[in-house]
Amino acid sequence: MKHPLSLNLNGDMAENLVEARTSLLTFIRESAGLTGTKRGCEEGECGGCAVLLDGRLVDSCLILALEAQGKTVTTVEGLGDPHHLSPVQSAFAESGASQCGFCIPGMLLATTALLDREPDPDEASIREAISGNLCRCTGYTRIVKAIQLAAKLKHDGQN
Amino acid sequence: MQDFAYHAPPTVAEAIALFAADPEGSRYLAGGTDLFLALEHGSSAVRSVIDLKAIPGLDGIAVQPDGGHRLGALLPMDDLMRDRAIRTNYRALAESAEVVGGPPIRNRATLGGNLCNASPAADTAVPLVAFMAMAVLSSASGGRAIPVVRLWEAPGRTVLRPGELMTAIELPPPLPASASTFERLTRSAMDIALLSASAVISLNDDGTCRLVTLALGAVAPTVISIPEAGEVLRDTNCDDAALARVVKAVIETVRPIDDIRASAEYRREMAGVLAKRALARAYAIAIEPAGITR
Ligand SMILES: Cc1cc2nc3c(=O)[nH]c(=O)nc-3n(C[C@H](O)[C@H](O)[C@H](O)COP(=O)(O)OP(=O)(O)OC[C@H]3O[C@@H](n4cnc5c(N)ncnc54)[C@H](O)[C@@H]3O)c2cc1C
Ligand code: FES
Ligand code: FES
Repeated sequence: MKHPLSLNLNGDMAENLVEARTSLLTFIRESAGLTGTKRGCEEGECGGCAVLLDGRLVDSCLILALEAQGKTVTTVEGLGDPHHLSPVQSAFAESGASQCGFCIPGMLLATTALLDREPDPDEASIREAISGNLCRCTGYTRIVKAIQLAAKLKHDGQN
Repeated sequence: MQDFAYHAPPTVAEAIALFAADPEGSRYLAGGTDLFLALEHGSSAVRSVIDLKAIPGLDGIAVQPDGGHRLGALLPMDDLMRDRAIRTNYRALAESAEVVGGPPIRNRATLGGNLCNASPAADTAVPLVAFMAMAVLSSASGGRAIPVVRLWEAPGRTVLRPGELMTAIELPPPLPASASTFERLTRSAMDIALLSASAVISLNDDGTCRLVTLALGAVAPTVISIPEAGEVLRDTNCDDAALARVVKAVIETVRPIDDIRASAEYRREMAGVLAKRALARAYAIAIEPAGITR
């Protein structure tokens, strides 16, 4: 049976009919056509599918699309676009933190959630904040550096 | 995954009524971090998923008139671990919530879901048993409260009746001159517990133990408490000889399994080590700020 779903996706209303079993991940990628959110393990282990749901970092593969009814979802596409990068995106680009890039959308959202709560995190908090996001390529060092730079860029932007 | 009907009722009564319409085919949904995989790989047909998150008032923390704390069953781990009052008064519980998965899991995973999933390795279940918490349940025939330690029959099986819904977990008031600890052994930080232990100790004025509780996870079909810890340690200074007697009781009580993570023999041995560590650390913390000299 299909149910009507409507939610705020990156500032726009996204509406469609979905089956109850449809995951939020599938809705974002296939119904809304936003493929920045990655389908990895589909078991809550890798964080490739991470999005912000009402500002909180969640794995969209473990959520029914209908659970997001009336809520606000932010994907990597909602952070900025190639001409207007968010400070977090700029910091990752400047730091060369990305190799294959598969984990990066999730990392950007984990970083955004962290800095919204803790503008000046130490390295332990940074590592903890990305502990639900796996990267097979980088060894995390540059990602941690990028997050430190992101905190600085956000500060500078506000002053 | 087979398709199913999805409901998000606004009240406990409506959730219970929806469940009653098809008791075999219904599942309550909290954070979904366990249920999702069960829907994906489970054998039994699920026809109706009843989301509890639209029911107001089930996800908060309230202080009771007697100083105890009432935790909503839908409270996410992330909220639990950040709460000032919980960190101060029920430290072991905050520490156990901190290690459940990574941040995206902790933003969804609920306290009630952790208990109702009935895994013997459920992290928050271990300190809740040590704190002698009560689970508050609601059903068509009324409400009841049972000690958390009596919630489980076997791995994956609770004593909840079909359609019974957990609404809250009640923690007794924090004990004077007390401390609590949570110890956990894993293969890697992200893995579920190989073994876990939680101890709560409160002291007499002379620095001896007044009340001691000890709970262990992943060493038996359910999370268990070790009543001998309280009996043996009462009125002692938690000295090595007394601890050795508790360790002996632990080793005799546990019924661990062999699995891909560890052998039963290793788990039995480590249960003693972890129990001792949890108790000794709780005693050391309890005696320090109280300024009690032996
Ligand atoms: C990647 C990953 C890592 C994990 N790591 C850990 C870990 O380190 N430690 C750990 O303990 N667990 C871990 N888990 C398991 C899981 O996250 C926890 O058990 C979590 O607390 C379950 O809560 P939930 O709200 O998601 O439950 P759900 O999945 O919504 O529900 C679980 C079960 O309980 C029932 N239920 C839920 N709430 C109620 C209620 N109020 N009344 C009656 N029945 C109810 C549901 O019907 C279902 O059968 C992990 C899971 C994943 C996917
Ligand atoms: S795809 Fe969701 S966590 Fe891996
Ligand atoms: S850059 Fe390849 S997975 Fe992280």
